[in-house]
Amino acid sequence: MSQFNVLMGKELRESWRSFKILWIPLVFILLGVSDPILNYYLMDILKAVGEMPEGFQMVMPELSPADILAASTGQFQSIGLIVLIATFVGTISRERQNGTATLLYVRPISHMALFLSKWLVACLVAVISVIAGYAASLYYTVLLYGPVQWDQFIGMLATYLLWICLIMAVTVAMSAAFKTVIAATLTIIMVIGGTIFESLIGSFLSISPWKLPSSALSLLSDYYDRTNFILNLSLSTGLLIFFIVLGIFMCQRNASTTEI
Amino acid sequence: MGELQAVPWALIAPLLLIQLILMVVALIDLSRIHATNGPKWLWAIIIIIGNLLGSIVYFIIGRKQS
Repeated sequence: MSQFNVLMGKELRESWRSFKILWIPLVFILLGVSDPILNYYLMDILKAVGEMPEGFQMVMPELSPADILAASTGQFQSIGLIVLIATFVGTISRERQNGTATLLYVRPISHMALFLSKWLVACLVAVISVIAGYAASLYYTVLLYGPVQWDQFIGMLATYLLWICLIMAVTVAMSAAFKTVIAATLTIIMVIGGTIFESLIGSFLSISPWKLPSSALSLLSDYYDRTNFILNLSLSTGLLIFFIVLGIFMCQRNASTTEI
Repeated sequence: MGELQAVPWALIAPLLLIQLILMVVALIDLSRIHATNGPKWLWAIIIIIGNLLGSIVYFIIGRKQS
């Protein structure tokens, strides 16, 4: 346990010194704020940019608070996920490549403590970012569009946080298993590619791990499918445990590939 | 001046403030870091001109992680 505490402290210091714990939440806040404001002023922006043909009329859809939170989720799903994956994909493999890991692996350390400390700090940064982003988005949504029910919002947030922890587990496990470039490619194919795949033919599947974000949104509005909510939740939890075990195993197996 | 006062500053100001903080954080990091991928002055220009995207790109690919 003391080993884990030391490694955890080291990871926290590293994420503070490289400003990770500061700039990623800021990016998420900006992503969360941009959608409510942009949609609110869309008409004014179009007028100011001008060049509308004579007699041009446009009907804006009446947006509900849930629609705005869904739009913010869309931002987190694309730019937010890419930022998180790109930052944490090198967390184990880069240490192996540049030789820092030698200092760790010459000692009899537990690979479980090593992997868990990396994953927990990645999760911590991701969770802080997502909460900050949703809080900013919610603030503007309530201000401009109307109230959101608290219990629904917290349920949605909790479900989305499980999804983000799963993504971080995949990222760190891939980092343990492969070199940085391969790990980045595989994670982005699995996560972003999977999300695109899901949006194309997702309606034919009853459960899939990529359904979790839309399951989360289904708690807010009836537009999204809610039938297999519990099944999706347990599938994702299972995958989360699978990737953690895979990561610990790969950490152990690849320890010898460290360059000196 | 009338147009400037018509802008709803209470709504827009936090957005500008966060963007400014992000830029300052990126610039502080740039001044402290030993070496970057590519010339430092170029990154300073990218961070200042390409406000949100510039800072993100700097943090992801500009920092030399060693």
